[in-house]
Amino acid sequence: MKAILSNVFTRYWNPYVALILAGILSAIYFGITGTVWAVTGEFTRLGGHVLQFLGVDISDWAYFDLVHMQGSSFSRSDGWIVWGMFIGALMMVLFSNSFKIRIPKQKRRLVQGLVGGIIAGFGARLALGCNLAAFFTGVPQFSFHSWIFIIATGIGTYLGAQVTKTRWWKGKPSLTKGNKKPSVEKRRKIQPYIGGMIALVYTGLILFFFTTGKPLLGIAAIFGALFGILIERGQICFTSAFRDLWLTGRGLMAKAIIIAMAVSSVITLFVIIIYGMEPITQIAAPSTFIGGFLFGLGIVLASSCETGMMYRLMEGQVLYLTVFAGNIIGVTALAYAWDHLGIYNVLVASGKPINLISTMGPVGAILATLVMLGILYLLTVYRQKTYRFVGMGFKKGEKKHVS
Amino acid sequence: MSVDFTLDLRGESCPYPVIYTLEALEGMTAGELLQVITDCPSSFRNVPEEVLKHGYQFAKDPVKNGQEYLFYVVA
Repeated sequence: MKAILSNVFTRYWNPYVALILAGILSAIYFGITGTVWAVTGEFTRLGGHVLQFLGVDISDWAYFDLVHMQGSSFSRSDGWIVWGMFIGALMMVLFSNSFKIRIPKQKRRLVQGLVGGIIAGFGARLALGCNLAAFFTGVPQFSFHSWIFIIATGIGTYLGAQVTKTRWWKGKPSLTKGNKKPSVEKRRKIQPYIGGMIALVYTGLILFFFTTGKPLLGIAAIFGALFGILIERGQICFTSAFRDLWLTGRGLMAKAIIIAMAVSSVITLFVIIIYGMEPITQIAAPSTFIGGFLFGLGIVLASSCETGMMYRLMEGQVLYLTVFAGNIIGVTALAYAWDHLGIYNVLVASGKPINLISTMGPVGAILATLVMLGILYLLTVYRQKTYRFVGMGFKKGEKKHVS
Repeated sequence: MSVDFTLDLRGESCPYPVIYTLEALEGMTAGELLQVITDCPSSFRNVPEEVLKHGYQFAKDPVKNGQEYLFYVVA
Protein backbone atom coordinates (compact mmCIF):
# COMPACT_ATOMS: atom_id res chain seq x y z
CA MET A 1 0.00 0.00 0.00
CA LYS A 2 2.78 2.35 0.92
CA ALA A 3 4.44 1.62 -2.40
CA ILE A 4 1.23 2.47 -4.28
CA LEU A 5 0.82 5.74 -2.38
CA SER A 6 4.41 6.60 -3.01
CA ASN A 7 3.97 5.97 -6.74
CA VAL A 8 0.82 8.09 -6.89
CA PHE A 9 2.17 11.03 -4.93
CA THR A 10 5.87 11.20 -5.68
CA ARG A 11 6.22 9.93 -9.22
CA TYR A 12 4.91 11.50 -12.38
CA TRP A 13 2.24 9.51 -14.15
CA ASN A 14 2.30 8.11 -17.63
CA PRO A 15 0.96 10.91 -19.88
CA TYR A 16 -1.31 8.45 -21.72
CA VAL A 17 -3.05 7.55 -18.45
CA ALA A 18 -3.38 11.17 -17.32
CA LEU A 19 -4.66 12.39 -20.69
CA ILE A 20 -7.14 9.57 -21.25
CA LEU A 21 -8.54 10.16 -17.75
CA ALA A 22 -8.79 13.89 -18.56
CA GLY A 23 -10.58 13.05 -21.81
CA ILE A 24 -13.09 10.81 -20.01
CA LEU A 25 -13.63 13.38 -17.24
CA SER A 26 -14.20 16.21 -19.70
CA ALA A 27 -16.87 14.13 -21.47
CA ILE A 28 -18.55 13.45 -18.10
CA TYR A 29 -18.27 17.11 -17.12
CA PHE A 30 -20.01 18.03 -20.37
CA GLY A 31 -22.73 15.46 -19.66
CA ILE A 32 -23.40 16.93 -16.21
CA THR A 33 -23.11 20.66 -16.92
CA GLY A 34 -23.49 21.15 -20.67
CA THR A 35 -20.24 23.13 -20.72
CA VAL A 36 -16.71 22.03 -21.57
CA TRP A 37 -13.39 22.07 -19.76
CA ALA A 38 -11.92 25.44 -20.77
CA VAL A 39 -9.84 28.18 -19.23
CA THR A 40 -9.22 31.18 -21.49
CA GLY A 41 -12.85 32.30 -21.50
CA GLU A 42 -12.48 32.82 -17.77
CA PHE A 43 -9.13 34.56 -18.30
CA THR A 44 -11.00 37.04 -20.53
CA ARG A 45 -13.49 37.70 -17.75
CA LEU A 46 -10.61 38.16 -15.30
CA GLY A 47 -9.17 40.75 -17.70
CA GLY A 48 -12.59 42.42 -17.71
CA HIS A 49 -12.63 42.54 -13.92
CA VAL A 50 -9.18 44.16 -13.93
CA LEU A 51 -10.49 46.81 -16.33
CA GLN A 52 -13.57 47.37 -14.14
CA PHE A 53 -11.30 47.72 -11.11
CA LEU A 54 -9.30 50.36 -12.98
CA GLY A 55 -12.53 52.24 -13.64
CA VAL A 56 -12.94 51.37 -17.33
CA ASP A 57 -16.53 51.12 -18.53
CA ILE A 58 -16.71 47.81 -20.40
CA SER A 59 -20.49 47.55 -20.59
CA ASP A 60 -20.49 48.18 -24.35
CA TRP A 61 -17.58 45.87 -25.24
CA ALA A 62 -19.15 43.20 -27.43
CA TYR A 63 -16.64 40.50 -26.49
CA PHE A 64 -17.42 40.69 -22.77
CA ASP A 65 -21.08 40.32 -23.68
CA LEU A 66 -20.15 37.25 -25.75
CA VAL A 67 -18.38 35.55 -22.84
CA HIS A 68 -21.13 36.44 -20.33
CA MET A 69 -19.42 38.72 -17.83
CA GLN A 70 -21.76 38.10 -14.93
CA GLY A 71 -20.97 37.88 -11.23
CA SER A 72 -17.44 37.30 -9.99
CA SER A 73 -14.97 34.57 -10.79
CA PHE A 74 -15.97 32.83 -7.55
CA SER A 75 -19.65 32.68 -8.47
CA ARG A 76 -19.07 31.12 -11.92
CA SER A 77 -18.52 27.45 -12.70
CA ASP A 78 -15.87 28.40 -15.29
CA GLY A 79 -14.14 30.33 -12.52
CA TRP A 80 -14.00 27.30 -10.26
CA ILE A 81 -12.60 25.16 -13.06
CA VAL A 82 -9.66 27.60 -13.19
CA TRP A 83 -9.18 27.97 -9.42
CA GLY A 84 -9.71 24.24 -8.96
CA MET A 85 -6.98 23.52 -11.49
CA PHE A 86 -4.57 25.79 -9.66
CA ILE A 87 -5.44 24.21 -6.29
CA GLY A 88 -5.40 20.61 -7.54
CA ALA A 89 -2.00 21.13 -9.18
CA LEU A 90 -0.63 22.87 -6.08
CA MET A 91 -1.78 20.01 -3.83
CA MET A 92 0.06 17.44 -5.94
CA VAL A 93 3.18 19.60 -6.11
CA LEU A 94 3.21 19.84 -2.32
CA PHE A 95 2.38 16.16 -1.72
CA SER A 96 5.35 15.19 -3.88
CA ASN A 97 7.58 17.73 -2.10
CA SER A 98 8.46 19.32 -5.42
CA PHE A 99 7.68 22.98 -4.79
CA LYS A 100 10.69 25.21 -5.31
CA ILE A 101 11.01 28.84 -6.28
CA ARG A 102 12.69 28.53 -9.66
CA ILE A 103 14.04 31.81 -10.99
CA PRO A 104 15.32 31.99 -14.58
CA LYS A 105 19.00 32.94 -14.57
CA GLN A 106 18.65 34.60 -17.95
CA LYS A 107 16.43 37.63 -17.53
CA ARG A 108 15.45 37.54 -21.21
CA ARG A 109 13.20 34.58 -20.36
CA LEU A 110 10.86 36.85 -18.40
CA VAL A 111 10.40 39.16 -21.39
CA GLN A 112 9.99 36.16 -23.69
CA GLY A 113 7.32 34.76 -21.36
CA LEU A 114 5.42 38.04 -21.33
CA VAL A 115 5.58 38.51 -25.11
CA GLY A 116 4.69 34.89 -25.83
CA GLY A 117 1.90 34.99 -23.24
CA ILE A 118 0.34 38.06 -24.86
CA ILE A 119 0.46 36.52 -28.35
CA ALA A 120 -0.94 33.20 -27.09
CA GLY A 121 -3.75 34.87 -25.12
CA PHE A 122 -4.71 37.11 -28.04
CA GLY A 123 -4.65 34.22 -30.53
CA ALA A 124 -6.60 31.84 -28.31
CA ARG A 125 -9.48 34.23 -27.81
CA LEU A 126 -9.46 35.28 -31.47
CA ALA A 127 -10.07 31.62 -32.27
CA LEU A 128 -12.59 31.38 -29.40
CA GLY A 129 -10.66 28.84 -27.35
CA CYS A 130 -7.19 27.64 -26.45
CA ASN A 131 -5.78 24.15 -26.59
CA LEU A 132 -8.81 23.02 -24.58
CA ALA A 133 -12.05 24.40 -26.07
CA ALA A 134 -10.61 24.70 -29.59
CA PHE A 135 -8.62 21.49 -29.40
CA PHE A 136 -8.76 18.90 -26.67
CA THR A 137 -12.43 19.43 -25.83
CA GLY A 138 -13.30 21.02 -29.20
CA VAL A 139 -12.61 17.97 -31.38
CA PRO A 140 -14.83 15.74 -29.18
CA GLN A 141 -17.64 18.31 -29.55
CA PHE A 142 -17.30 17.78 -33.33
CA SER A 143 -16.86 21.51 -33.80
CA PHE A 144 -15.09 21.97 -37.13
CA HIS A 145 -13.31 25.10 -35.93
CA SER A 146 -11.03 22.88 -33.85
CA TRP A 147 -9.76 21.12 -36.99
CA ILE A 148 -8.71 24.46 -38.47
CA PHE A 149 -7.23 25.44 -35.12
CA ILE A 150 -5.05 22.30 -34.90
CA ILE A 151 -3.54 22.83 -38.36
CA ALA A 152 -2.91 26.53 -37.69
CA THR A 153 -1.37 25.74 -34.28
CA GLY A 154 0.92 23.25 -35.99
CA ILE A 155 2.20 25.97 -38.35
CA GLY A 156 2.52 28.56 -35.56
CA THR A 157 4.45 26.21 -33.28
CA TYR A 158 6.79 25.32 -36.16
CA LEU A 159 7.68 28.99 -36.58
CA GLY A 160 8.02 29.37 -32.81
CA ALA A 161 10.38 26.39 -32.62
CA GLN A 162 12.64 27.97 -35.26
CA VAL A 163 12.77 31.17 -33.19
CA THR A 164 13.68 29.33 -29.97
CA LYS A 165 16.68 27.76 -31.73
CA THR A 166 18.25 31.09 -32.71
CA ARG A 167 21.18 32.28 -30.58
CA TRP A 168 19.68 35.61 -29.60
CA TRP A 169 16.50 34.01 -28.34
CA LYS A 170 17.99 30.89 -26.79
CA GLY A 171 20.78 32.60 -24.85
CA LYS A 172 23.69 30.74 -23.34
CA PRO A 173 23.61 28.19 -20.56
CA SER A 174 25.93 27.94 -17.61
CA LEU A 175 28.35 25.30 -18.90
CA THR A 176 31.48 25.04 -16.79
CA LYS A 177 34.49 22.77 -16.70
CA GLY A 178 34.67 20.10 -14.05
CA ASN A 179 32.26 19.25 -11.28
CA LYS A 180 29.80 21.51 -9.55
CA LYS A 181 27.98 20.81 -6.32
CA PRO A 182 24.20 20.45 -6.40
CA SER A 183 21.96 22.21 -3.87
CA VAL A 184 21.86 20.87 -0.34
CA GLU A 185 18.72 18.83 0.20
CA LYS A 186 16.49 19.92 3.06
CA ARG A 187 16.02 17.20 5.65
CA ARG A 188 12.59 18.20 6.94
CA LYS A 189 9.71 17.78 4.58
CA ILE A 190 6.86 20.12 5.48
CA GLN A 191 5.36 20.50 2.00
CA PRO A 192 3.11 17.39 2.18
CA TYR A 193 1.55 18.70 5.41
CA ILE A 194 0.75 22.06 3.81
CA GLY A 195 -0.74 20.15 0.88
CA GLY A 196 -2.87 18.14 3.30
CA MET A 197 -4.20 21.29 4.94
CA ILE A 198 -5.08 22.80 1.57
CA ALA A 199 -6.89 19.57 0.62
CA LEU A 200 -8.94 19.70 3.84
CA VAL A 201 -9.93 23.35 3.41
CA TYR A 202 -10.80 22.77 -0.25
CA THR A 203 -12.95 19.73 0.61
CA GLY A 204 -14.76 21.94 3.13
CA LEU A 205 -15.37 24.53 0.44
CA ILE A 206 -16.81 21.93 -1.94
CA LEU A 207 -19.14 20.66 0.81
CA PHE A 208 -20.16 24.28 1.46
CA PHE A 209 -21.17 24.68 -2.20
CA PHE A 210 -23.31 21.55 -2.10
CA THR A 211 -25.00 22.35 1.23
CA THR A 212 -25.79 25.94 0.28
CA GLY A 213 -27.61 25.10 -2.93
CA LYS A 214 -24.76 25.75 -5.37
CA PRO A 215 -24.12 22.24 -6.69
CA LEU A 216 -22.87 23.51 -10.05
CA LEU A 217 -20.02 25.38 -8.35
CA GLY A 218 -19.27 22.30 -6.26
CA ILE A 219 -19.10 20.12 -9.38
CA ALA A 220 -16.87 22.65 -11.16
CA ALA A 221 -14.61 22.83 -8.09
CA ILE A 222 -14.27 19.03 -8.03
CA PHE A 223 -13.61 18.67 -11.76
CA GLY A 224 -11.26 21.66 -11.78
CA ALA A 225 -9.15 20.06 -9.05
CA LEU A 226 -9.17 16.70 -10.86
CA PHE A 227 -8.02 18.36 -14.08
CA GLY A 228 -5.31 20.19 -12.12
CA ILE A 229 -4.16 16.93 -10.52
CA LEU A 230 -4.01 15.20 -13.91
CA ILE A 231 -2.12 17.93 -15.80
CA GLU A 232 0.44 18.23 -12.99
CA ARG A 233 0.97 14.52 -12.40
CA GLY A 234 1.06 13.75 -16.12
CA GLN A 235 3.09 16.92 -16.83
CA ILE A 236 0.60 17.42 -19.65
CA CYS A 237 1.97 20.01 -22.02
CA PHE A 238 0.23 20.83 -25.29
CA THR A 239 3.09 23.15 -26.19
CA SER A 240 5.62 20.34 -26.02
CA ALA A 241 3.33 18.05 -28.01
CA PHE A 242 3.89 20.28 -31.05
CA ARG A 243 7.20 21.93 -30.27
CA ASP A 244 9.13 18.78 -29.41
CA LEU A 245 8.06 17.21 -32.69
CA TRP A 246 9.63 20.15 -34.54
CA LEU A 247 12.70 20.46 -32.30
CA THR A 248 13.78 16.92 -31.49
CA GLY A 249 11.24 14.57 -33.05
CA ARG A 250 9.76 13.67 -29.67
CA GLY A 251 6.24 12.32 -30.20
CA LEU A 252 5.18 11.00 -26.79
CA MET A 253 2.97 13.91 -25.74
CA ALA A 254 1.42 14.37 -29.19
CA LYS A 255 0.51 10.68 -29.44
CA ALA A 256 -0.97 10.66 -25.95
CA ILE A 257 -3.11 13.71 -26.74
CA ILE A 258 -4.35 12.19 -30.02
CA ILE A 259 -5.32 8.88 -28.37
CA ALA A 260 -7.05 10.71 -25.50
CA MET A 261 -9.02 12.88 -27.95
CA ALA A 262 -10.17 9.74 -29.78
CA VAL A 263 -11.40 8.20 -26.50
CA SER A 264 -13.04 11.46 -25.46
CA SER A 265 -14.75 11.82 -28.87
CA VAL A 266 -16.37 8.38 -28.63
CA ILE A 267 -17.62 8.98 -25.07
CA THR A 268 -18.82 12.49 -25.86
CA LEU A 269 -20.76 11.18 -28.87
CA PHE A 270 -22.60 8.73 -26.58
CA VAL A 271 -23.30 11.53 -24.08
CA ILE A 272 -24.69 13.73 -26.88
CA ILE A 273 -26.90 10.95 -28.28
CA ILE A 274 -28.11 9.38 -25.03
CA TYR A 275 -28.91 12.64 -23.24
CA GLY A 276 -30.00 14.46 -26.40
CA MET A 277 -27.53 17.27 -25.75
CA GLU A 278 -26.51 20.02 -28.12
CA PRO A 279 -22.75 19.93 -28.87
CA ILE A 280 -20.87 23.16 -28.31
CA THR A 281 -19.97 24.59 -31.70
CA GLN A 282 -17.85 27.67 -32.29
CA ILE A 283 -17.60 29.82 -35.38
CA ALA A 284 -15.18 28.56 -38.02
CA ALA A 285 -13.81 31.63 -39.79
CA PRO A 286 -10.53 33.21 -40.94
CA SER A 287 -10.13 34.27 -37.30
CA THR A 288 -9.88 30.59 -36.30
CA PHE A 289 -6.86 30.07 -38.51
CA ILE A 290 -5.10 33.34 -37.63
CA GLY A 291 -5.90 32.83 -33.94
CA GLY A 292 -4.60 29.27 -33.99
CA PHE A 293 -1.41 30.39 -35.72
CA LEU A 294 -0.78 33.18 -33.19
CA PHE A 295 -1.62 30.82 -30.33
CA GLY A 296 0.90 28.27 -31.62
CA LEU A 297 3.61 30.88 -32.04
CA GLY A 298 2.91 32.41 -28.63
CA ILE A 299 2.92 29.20 -26.61
CA VAL A 300 6.32 28.16 -27.93
CA LEU A 301 7.80 31.61 -27.28
CA ALA A 302 6.29 31.61 -23.77
CA SER A 303 7.38 28.00 -23.10
CA SER A 304 3.83 27.11 -22.17
CA CYS A 305 0.19 27.34 -23.14
CA GLU A 306 -2.53 28.65 -20.87
CA THR A 307 -3.01 25.20 -19.32
CA GLY A 308 0.62 24.24 -18.77
CA MET A 309 1.29 27.66 -17.29
CA MET A 310 -1.09 26.85 -14.44
CA TYR A 311 0.73 23.87 -12.95
CA ARG A 312 4.17 25.29 -13.68
CA LEU A 313 3.27 28.41 -11.74
CA MET A 314 2.23 26.17 -8.84
CA GLU A 315 5.59 24.37 -9.03
CA GLY A 316 7.16 27.73 -8.22
CA GLN A 317 8.48 28.53 -11.70
CA VAL A 318 8.67 32.31 -11.55
CA LEU A 319 8.79 32.61 -15.35
CA TYR A 320 5.10 31.71 -15.53
CA LEU A 321 4.03 34.77 -13.55
CA THR A 322 4.95 36.81 -16.61
CA VAL A 323 3.27 34.26 -18.90
CA PHE A 324 0.05 34.48 -16.84
CA ALA A 325 0.19 38.29 -16.90
CA GLY A 326 0.83 38.14 -20.66
CA ASN A 327 -2.15 35.80 -21.18
CA ILE A 328 -4.48 38.19 -19.34
CA ILE A 329 -3.13 41.20 -21.25
CA GLY A 330 -3.47 39.31 -24.56
CA VAL A 331 -7.07 38.19 -24.01
CA THR A 332 -8.04 41.68 -22.87
CA ALA A 333 -6.38 43.25 -25.92
CA LEU A 334 -8.39 40.90 -28.14
CA ALA A 335 -11.59 41.81 -26.30
CA TYR A 336 -10.85 45.47 -27.08
CA ALA A 337 -9.87 44.87 -30.70
CA TRP A 338 -12.90 42.64 -31.34
CA ASP A 339 -15.33 45.52 -31.93
CA HIS A 340 -13.25 48.68 -31.39
CA LEU A 341 -10.72 47.78 -34.09
CA GLY A 342 -13.13 45.90 -36.32
CA ILE A 343 -11.66 42.41 -35.96
CA TYR A 344 -15.10 40.88 -35.79
CA ASN A 345 -16.25 42.43 -39.07
CA VAL A 346 -13.06 41.61 -40.95
CA LEU A 347 -12.18 38.14 -39.68
CA VAL A 348 -15.17 36.59 -37.92
CA ALA A 349 -18.45 37.77 -39.43
CA SER A 350 -17.93 35.79 -42.65
CA GLY A 351 -17.71 32.51 -40.73
CA LYS A 352 -20.33 30.27 -39.23
CA PRO A 353 -20.48 27.46 -36.68
CA ILE A 354 -20.03 24.11 -38.39
CA ASN A 355 -20.74 20.95 -36.47
CA LEU A 356 -19.86 17.59 -37.99
CA ILE A 357 -22.86 15.88 -36.40
CA SER A 358 -25.33 18.22 -38.08
CA THR A 359 -23.52 18.12 -41.44
CA MET A 360 -22.73 14.40 -41.73
CA GLY A 361 -24.68 12.69 -38.95
CA PRO A 362 -23.28 11.05 -35.83
CA VAL A 363 -21.71 8.06 -37.61
CA GLY A 364 -20.05 10.22 -40.24
CA ALA A 365 -18.88 12.66 -37.58
CA ILE A 366 -17.14 10.06 -35.44
CA LEU A 367 -15.65 8.27 -38.46
CA ALA A 368 -14.29 11.53 -39.89
CA THR A 369 -12.88 12.49 -36.49
CA LEU A 370 -11.18 9.13 -36.00
CA VAL A 371 -9.72 9.20 -39.51
CA MET A 372 -8.38 12.74 -38.93
CA LEU A 373 -6.84 11.71 -35.60
CA GLY A 374 -5.45 8.56 -37.21
CA ILE A 375 -3.70 10.63 -39.88
CA LEU A 376 -2.27 12.97 -37.22
CA TYR A 377 -1.03 9.91 -35.30
CA LEU A 378 0.72 8.46 -38.36
CA LEU A 379 2.33 11.82 -39.17
CA THR A 380 3.57 12.02 -35.58
CA VAL A 381 5.04 8.51 -35.71
CA TYR A 382 6.75 9.33 -39.01
CA ARG A 383 8.30 12.52 -37.65
CA GLN A 384 9.39 10.71 -34.48
CA LYS A 385 11.13 7.99 -36.47
CA THR A 386 12.86 10.21 -39.01
CA TYR A 387 13.80 13.49 -37.31
CA ARG A 388 16.71 14.17 -34.94
CA PHE A 389 17.92 17.35 -33.31
CA VAL A 390 20.81 19.15 -34.98
CA GLY A 391 22.11 21.93 -32.77
CA MET A 392 24.68 24.59 -33.30
CA GLY A 393 26.90 23.07 -30.63
CA PHE A 394 29.28 24.94 -28.39
CA LYS A 395 32.83 25.57 -29.47
CA LYS A 396 35.20 23.81 -27.16
CA GLY A 397 37.43 26.01 -25.06
CA GLU A 398 35.11 28.97 -25.46
CA LYS A 399 34.02 30.63 -22.25
CA LYS A 400 30.59 29.25 -22.09
CA HIS A 401 28.62 30.60 -19.21
CA VAL A 402 26.79 33.77 -18.43
CA SER A 403 26.13 33.57 -14.68
CA MET B 1 34.31 8.87 -12.45
CA SER B 2 35.40 12.44 -13.09
CA VAL B 3 33.06 15.02 -14.53
CA ASP B 4 34.49 16.95 -17.48
CA PHE B 5 31.75 19.55 -17.88
CA THR B 6 28.77 20.65 -15.79
CA LEU B 7 25.64 22.12 -17.28
CA ASP B 8 23.75 24.01 -14.58
CA LEU B 9 20.18 24.33 -15.84
CA ARG B 10 18.55 25.36 -12.57
CA GLY B 11 15.82 27.90 -13.31
CA GLU B 12 15.57 27.01 -17.01
CA SER B 13 12.22 25.80 -18.39
CA CYS B 14 11.38 23.76 -21.49
CA PRO B 15 12.58 23.46 -24.15
CA TYR B 16 15.97 24.87 -23.16
CA PRO B 17 17.13 21.99 -20.89
CA VAL B 18 16.86 19.57 -23.82
CA ILE B 19 18.40 21.98 -26.38
CA TYR B 20 21.28 22.92 -24.07
CA THR B 21 22.01 19.31 -23.11
CA LEU B 22 22.07 18.05 -26.70
CA GLU B 23 24.16 21.01 -27.87
CA ALA B 24 26.64 20.61 -25.01
CA LEU B 25 27.03 16.91 -25.87
CA GLU B 26 27.52 17.74 -29.56
CA GLY B 27 30.38 20.05 -28.64
CA MET B 28 32.19 17.55 -26.41
CA THR B 29 34.70 14.87 -27.38
CA ALA B 30 33.38 11.31 -27.40
CA GLY B 31 33.93 9.67 -24.02
CA GLU B 32 33.86 12.90 -21.97
CA LEU B 33 31.41 13.06 -19.09
CA LEU B 34 28.71 15.72 -18.77
CA GLN B 35 26.91 16.43 -15.49
CA VAL B 36 23.48 18.07 -15.87
CA ILE B 37 21.82 19.76 -12.90
CA THR B 38 18.18 20.59 -13.62
CA ASP B 39 15.11 21.53 -11.59
CA CYS B 40 12.37 21.85 -14.24
CA PRO B 41 10.03 18.87 -13.64
CA SER B 42 9.32 18.35 -17.35
CA SER B 43 13.05 17.98 -17.96
CA PHE B 44 13.22 15.04 -15.54
CA ARG B 45 11.49 13.07 -18.27
CA ASN B 46 12.37 14.68 -21.59
CA VAL B 47 16.12 15.15 -21.02
CA PRO B 48 16.87 11.44 -20.37
CA GLU B 49 14.53 10.41 -23.21
CA GLU B 50 16.19 12.69 -25.74
CA VAL B 51 19.71 11.88 -24.55
CA LEU B 52 19.15 8.17 -25.16
CA LYS B 53 17.27 8.73 -28.42
CA HIS B 54 20.11 10.83 -29.78
CA GLY B 55 22.55 8.01 -29.12
CA TYR B 56 24.24 8.97 -25.86
CA GLN B 57 24.63 6.76 -22.79
CA PHE B 58 24.18 7.40 -19.10
CA ALA B 59 27.34 6.84 -17.02
CA LYS B 60 25.13 6.05 -14.03
CA ASP B 61 21.52 6.25 -12.90
CA PRO B 62 19.98 9.73 -12.48
CA VAL B 63 20.25 11.09 -8.94
CA LYS B 64 17.23 12.75 -7.34
CA ASN B 65 18.43 15.53 -5.10
CA GLY B 66 15.43 17.18 -3.44
CA GLN B 67 13.69 19.23 -6.13
CA GLU B 68 16.55 18.69 -8.59
CA TYR B 69 17.83 15.88 -10.73
CA LEU B 70 21.43 15.14 -11.62
CA PHE B 71 22.18 13.37 -14.89
CA TYR B 72 25.55 11.94 -15.90
CA VAL B 73 25.88 11.51 -19.66
CA VAL B 74 28.78 10.22 -21.74
CA ALA B 75 29.27 12.26 -24.89
